[in-house]
Amino acid sequence: MMPAAEPPRIRHDDNEGDNPMISAFRPRRAFIASVFAALVALPTAALAQELTMWSHWAAEVAKRAYVEDAIKRFEASKPGVKVKITWYEKSALYAALKTALRAGQAPDVFYAEVDQTDYIDNNLLADLSTGVNWNNVEPWAKQAWTFGKGTYGFPLEASTVEVYYNTKLMADLGVTVPANGQFDQAAFLDLVKKARAKGITPMSQGVGDRPFPGAYVTHEALLKKLGMNDYDALMKGKLSWSDPRVVETLTWVKQLVDAGAFPTSFTSLKLGESHIYFHTNPGALMFQVASWYTARAFNPPDKGGQPVNFPLGIMQSPAMNGGACNNCKSLAVGGSYVVNAASPRKDLGIAFLNSFATPEMGNKWLENVLVQTGIKTDASKIAGPHAGYFKQLAKANESNTYYFGTPVQVMQGKPKEVFTQVVNSALPAGSISVDDVVKQMNAAK
Amino acid sequence: MHRLQRAVVLFALCVFTAFAAGPFFWVATMSLRTTSEISRDHYAWPGTLHWNKFPDAWFNSNYSTYFQNSLLVVVSAVIILTLVGAMAAHCFARYRFKLNRFFYFIIFSTIIFPPQITIIALFQILVQYGLFNSLIGLTLVYVAFQLPITVYILESFFARIPGDLFEAARIDGYSEMAIFWRISLPIALPALSTTIILNTILLWNEFLYAVVLITDEDKRTLPLGIQRFMGDQMEDIGMISTGLMIAIIPVVLIYAFFSEKLIQGMTAGAVK
Amino acid sequence: MPPSSAGASAAGAHVARALGTPWRAVTVFLLPAATFYVAFTAYPVFRTLWNSFHKVLPAKEEFVGLANYAELVRDEIFWRAVRNTLVWACTSPLFEVSIALVLALALYAKVPGRRFFRIAWFTPVLMSYVVVGIIWAWIYNYDWGAVNTGLRALGLNSWTRAWLGKQETALPALIFVTTWMWSGFNMVVLLAALHSLPSEVIEAAELDNCGWWGKLVHVIFPMIRPTVLNLVVLSFVGKMKIFDLVWITTKGGPLWSTETVSIYVYKRAFEWNTFDLGYPSAVASVWFVIVLGSVLTLSYVFRQREKLEY
Repeated sequence: MMPAAEPPRIRHDDNEGDNPMISAFRPRRAFIASVFAALVALPTAALAQELTMWSHWAAEVAKRAYVEDAIKRFEASKPGVKVKITWYEKSALYAALKTALRAGQAPDVFYAEVDQTDYIDNNLLADLSTGVNWNNVEPWAKQAWTFGKGTYGFPLEASTVEVYYNTKLMADLGVTVPANGQFDQAAFLDLVKKARAKGITPMSQGVGDRPFPGAYVTHEALLKKLGMNDYDALMKGKLSWSDPRVVETLTWVKQLVDAGAFPTSFTSLKLGESHIYFHTNPGALMFQVASWYTARAFNPPDKGGQPVNFPLGIMQSPAMNGGACNNCKSLAVGGSYVVNAASPRKDLGIAFLNSFATPEMGNKWLENVLVQTGIKTDASKIAGPHAGYFKQLAKANESNTYYFGTPVQVMQGKPKEVFTQVVNSALPAGSISVDDVVKQMNAAK
Repeated sequence: MHRLQRAVVLFALCVFTAFAAGPFFWVATMSLRTTSEISRDHYAWPGTLHWNKFPDAWFNSNYSTYFQNSLLVVVSAVIILTLVGAMAAHCFARYRFKLNRFFYFIIFSTIIFPPQITIIALFQILVQYGLFNSLIGLTLVYVAFQLPITVYILESFFARIPGDLFEAARIDGYSEMAIFWRISLPIALPALSTTIILNTILLWNEFLYAVVLITDEDKRTLPLGIQRFMGDQMEDIGMISTGLMIAIIPVVLIYAFFSEKLIQGMTAGAVK
Repeated sequence: MPPSSAGASAAGAHVARALGTPWRAVTVFLLPAATFYVAFTAYPVFRTLWNSFHKVLPAKEEFVGLANYAELVRDEIFWRAVRNTLVWACTSPLFEVSIALVLALALYAKVPGRRFFRIAWFTPVLMSYVVVGIIWAWIYNYDWGAVNTGLRALGLNSWTRAWLGKQETALPALIFVTTWMWSGFNMVVLLAALHSLPSEVIEAAELDNCGWWGKLVHVIFPMIRPTVLNLVVLSFVGKMKIFDLVWITTKGGPLWSTETVSIYVYKRAFEWNTFDLGYPSAVASVWFVIVLGSVLTLSYVFRQREKLEY
């Protein structure tokens, strides 16, 4: 790479060769020239090492800060390497990646989630099995990204599905949350009715720009009712939606809908807006969402975060009558990073992802972003201003068993599209009957 | 009776005008108010006129980039379209040769093609030729997209030019090319300005091709850029309105100045 | 061709024949247009057709014969989209052109401030569908949108709805938006057509004492019929292609009630969890045939009564 080794050329129009005094200087001039050339070449060669990176989370301050800090550490550990990151909103990111990957213009490292198996089917992702220290990563998190013989993504974010609620509003309604944090079906329906009667929106879900927030209530209920194995079968199309337990659960959800559990602007309410709906304006009783709730809620209030000293509580989603697993909960690997298989800087990209695989980075994520992570962490070392919340979250999860994956991650193709329109959108919007849901989901296999 | 009729007609007219222009007017007022003011009352007249929102959107939110990209693409495309379209239209209108009507019909019929039939393949083609995600690629696609309607409008106009002019020119020894430049074009100026305005308006607002064929933030055109303020938090209605006005005003101004010519030209095609 | 130029071009043609058709000039004039056409219109159409018989992935193309078309026949979302788009394309011209016609006739007498009115009626058309979509999503907003606010002000609270959020009202709401957009345009064109009618015929009809209605039906209408028909075809074709408006407002929801074919093609090609471009190409190809067929049928039906300028 460096041209220093080349011997200096002798210029034919140079008369100095005749003077022995001057000709003695030539080798030294040549040496200086070559050293100079080497000095110039070194940074140029190093500057060629720029990693391009595209990521979701443009609106989530804490996650951005975390990733940008990781970038700084990586750049410090490898002089001459720069990481250029572009922040996107998720839907814009996916659209851009779809075309860019096909066009061969995709970045070296980018954000992806586990449901994007089409990347792997088309050999677009680099295998991270050997380049990353998987000893520092939770086995279930690695498993989520393992397809066939390779592991293709780094599971940075993980989340559980929680029911957040406003403790003050709950007290105002005169309702006490049971000691184990879980209402039963009837009590929950009653709670919804009480809230509506007082003009408070019970749950601030919204499906304006995402294919999953409306379905949380339904699929958590189904998970509890059916238990891990049957729920898995349902998601994978092996269990019929006409199963009486499924129908019972859907009927209960419909009762919630009819009792006014969701906002009137449900179909157009965006995810960010539904956060604000819950904690600021107009304020709702509950918000069932993944635990990355805090990534937005702990932003400063003027950036969409919850008000200072907001009375945040966490409860379990309701227990189902005769439920097979009432302490089952969905745990999903969320935002992850992957390396473009066609990138000329593949190894550098993998090294970058490897820099996340330390307990220190895991703890840092927990402390600052307040969401679970796939990296192994040392819970005893968590400190910082939000340690209290984290303890609260840990308590809310102490007796849970986990099903790994949310429906939009487990389903593909036609069933996923129908699920999005029918279970996520139409059922909670009150536009469709339980029979119709069953019929359409069965037909979509 | 007549006066009553008149009054009713005028009333209906005003109602319809309010209906047609109302939304535009509403957005115009919102563009000068901040989002918090708007949230309090969506339909109030602006208290203080926040003119600073316009420079704010322009300089701080990349609007200048989008505007410049749109300008570059649209101006280039319209120039090329006018030249290429005029040449083809002149040829179809003035020369009789076998397959004249056949070729004309082929080009004209593509007006009804839905863009979907070409968008996927265009994407593949541009990738293949390294023109994907480039303003040049988008410009070329735009030219092809508007060529049929341009040729259609110009051809019917060129066909009406009296043939004696051409005869005389030929006898005088002008070459075919010279006839085109010196006779056809100058006479067809009204129709040309119609197609220029029409193409400018349509391409300025074009969205589907832009959204598929451009991915880089700094190559985005205005219709894509407008979405920039639509983040996932509380919709920033005030800023979006300002952005909308920046997108609409140039077109409205162009139309206001050239409305006479535009009507003439468009009705030349639609009216017998 | 209009009579004046037919004579002129015959004379011109006579000269041309005397000199021979200047092939070199023809080539020079047509070559640029032909290149654009072949490279960016004709070739893509064939490429899409080609794609439809393959599974088209980033790394390879696999011939699958009629598999995509077989899947298409069973695809309820596609047929729903076809129905929605056809409904849109058939009802729109009815509203847009008839409203425009009524108003244009009413305005036949010269009205003061014509230029101002024309600009006002044209503004909807000057805005891109993106802008229109954003504005109307606000107008239809359940809590503070103009429609519901107006209804509440009139005391008609029970009529308020989430217009774009319910399947029964979403498509009609969008059809209303396009009607709003294009009525003004149609009206301006019709007015120009009316004003370009030869005044002798109108005067003659008046002298004949036809009466107001008679004059309308027997004299004016036949003369502007070509314009009206052209506007109908234009409106029909425009709605068959519609994408931007739906994309910005409902993206095909709720429950596919506003799913148009262009939305479905875009989603299959760029949003579903697959890189395959073969299936959406098949959708596009079938749609292309349907659009062509509809337009040819329409032109044939109209041509029975009048020869359109082609």
